[in-house]
Amino acid sequence: MEPFVTHRGRVALLDWSDVNTDLIIPARYLKRIERTGYGPLLFADKRYEAGKAPEADAPEVHGTPLPDFPLNRPEAEGASILVVGPNFGCGSSREHAVWAVAQAGFRAVVAKGKDAGFADIFEGNAYNNGLLPLELSTSDWDALADAIRASAQTEVTIDLQNLTLTVHGSSGDRVTKIDVPEGQRQRLLQGLDFIAETLQHDAEISRHEQGRPAWLTPTLA
Amino acid sequence: MPETLFDKVWNRHIVAADDAATLLYIDRHLIHEVTSPQAFDGLRLAGRKVRRPELSFATVDHNVPTENQLDIREPMSRRQVEALRANCREFGVTLYDVKSGRQGIVHVIGPELGLTLPGTTICCGDSHTSTHGAFGALAFGIGTSEVEHILASQTLWQGRRPPTFGIEVTGSLAPGLEPKDIILAIIRAIGTGGATGHVIEYYGPAIRALSMEGRMTICNMSIEAGARAGMIAPDDVTIDYYTRIDRPFAPKGKDLDAAIADWRMLKTDDPASFDRHVTIDASSLVPQVTWGTNPAMTIDVTGVIPDPGQVPFSSREDAERALEYMGLKPGTPVSEIPVDVVFIGSCTNGRIEDLRSAAVVFKGRKVAQGVRALIVPGSEQVRDQAQAEGLDRVFIEAGAEWREAGCSMCLAMNPDKLTPQQRSASTSNRNFEGRQGPGGRTHLVSPAMAAAAAVMGKFTDVRTLLAERV
Ligand code: SF4
Repeated sequence: MEPFVTHRGRVALLDWSDVNTDLIIPARYLKRIERTGYGPLLFADKRYEAGKAPEADAPEVHGTPLPDFPLNRPEAEGASILVVGPNFGCGSSREHAVWAVAQAGFRAVVAKGKDAGFADIFEGNAYNNGLLPLELSTSDWDALADAIRASAQTEVTIDLQNLTLTVHGSSGDRVTKIDVPEGQRQRLLQGLDFIAETLQHDAEISRHEQGRPAWLTPTLA
Repeated sequence: MPETLFDKVWNRHIVAADDAATLLYIDRHLIHEVTSPQAFDGLRLAGRKVRRPELSFATVDHNVPTENQLDIREPMSRRQVEALRANCREFGVTLYDVKSGRQGIVHVIGPELGLTLPGTTICCGDSHTSTHGAFGALAFGIGTSEVEHILASQTLWQGRRPPTFGIEVTGSLAPGLEPKDIILAIIRAIGTGGATGHVIEYYGPAIRALSMEGRMTICNMSIEAGARAGMIAPDDVTIDYYTRIDRPFAPKGKDLDAAIADWRMLKTDDPASFDRHVTIDASSLVPQVTWGTNPAMTIDVTGVIPDPGQVPFSSREDAERALEYMGLKPGTPVSEIPVDVVFIGSCTNGRIEDLRSAAVVFKGRKVAQGVRALIVPGSEQVRDQAQAEGLDRVFIEAGAEWREAGCSMCLAMNPDKLTPQQRSASTSNRNFEGRQGPGGRTHLVSPAMAAAAAVMGKFTDVRTLLAERV
């Protein structure tokens, strides 16, 4: 996994609540058995003219993007931080939703509301793919959204070392403290493979297995 | 220290813990074709094995056609199903394939096979894993990276201990009301993000009165309120599930006695408290219908489509987008909304009791002209049982389609789909945009309400149809 230490980039704003994973990536694309190719499929049913979205087996081939969809506006081009409304990623557990966001070029998603910004499974999936899911308080989020609306060129720096988010607005920098669970922060900073880390606990896992009642192991009588 | 049901199950699965994270042992891992191929690939790339192949079980459900399960015409669907077959062979995981007699929606077959047991931890790369909490298991959905993690280690990292949410359901359901109405009313009351981060425990007299099937319907939709998991403490009804019918993998004989003694202790201690709490009165419910594009956008069948400025948990803009997508106008009575398609099935309502309550409504009636009704058993077992009870005859005589087991029209990954602007009454769990097919318009209801919509051609208070019978 690519480590995440600091990242500076431009921001795209999708100010909708309860954006579900079916919207982020429609079910038909889940037929892919690869882990890559999902970038062009992000928000496919919102992003392209009806009937012009890519086929599951040819993600790169698509028709005209709809100019009104927020991520298609010229100012969103090249953005690497996605700013979204509360309860982002609700619904299904499909990790394809995170793959699509990350492979479309985003390194972080900034959602509205402490403990209310992300659905749980999406949040976990994001960490496991090195996509930083950040929740801001409503007032901090509103200030960020206002800065983006005031200037589409607004850049943001996320510093995972010092746990700050800096909005480089037209009237100077605005620094906000951010929270990231310590275990996840360390993993992101170092770009760790969490399976390798877990397997270091082999002795504890074996000890637990020895303590389980035998009837917990399914057997056909 | 008094403990909740959740505390008890969580504590007995802790393998390692520090301030920030807990490593939990996972007793059962369920697998389907959609969220697993990249996980098996990851194992292969890293040269890893499955640590405990006897604790993982796989089936095919999402891509399987329900007209003829063997005939997967869509090449990508076929490739995905074949990838699972090959992966299970290579890694030694048991697969319940089509025509095994045991295939079905992963959350329907887990309990049927006796894999789902009280007090266990159960994971699956599928958000509706919350279903298994009906047995007092701690069951939750995971992403594909976590599927790989469990295959490799039989464990999973969790953050800090999640807070709990007690949902007490008092009173009792009136005739014509179903468990689906309870859970829709709960989500309507607390919102789609209402339980985010929490583990719900459902309790109270209306929950105790439910069968295991009904409890599964409720726990299934916990995720629709954002919950990590939903749980119900085991009782006589739960234990009966293992003693009345043979569940192949459940403990037997002395083992079963020991297990039952253990399961009896799995309940929230009297003075223990939940971090949050609500009470819902089941006696006052009327049948529920969703009108919008998330499951909190729910109203009574006797109600009217709301004004977009008055929708709880949604901004005016979000509600207007939902109304536009659904093709609905504020003020329209629900009972005047026609349906094109009726879908009875899914891991929410594809079990035998669901089919029985639909059959009561269909019996002696005909599907309205112009309406297509699909009845899709959740598993091959459910299908066999329904046929043994003659339910299939009732459906076919009414003019409905009696299908084979699978996820079917719950999500658009197999041939059963809505076409753009088609309107459905569906017993599934998600009314998201495009969920049942691009442009399709989904209204979630109970099986009895879906059957009523099928015979009347529009949403109808099923209580009026049931009253005609008396
Ligand atoms: S029936 Fe629907 S919700 Fe359940 S597992 Fe299948 S697709 Fe998912």
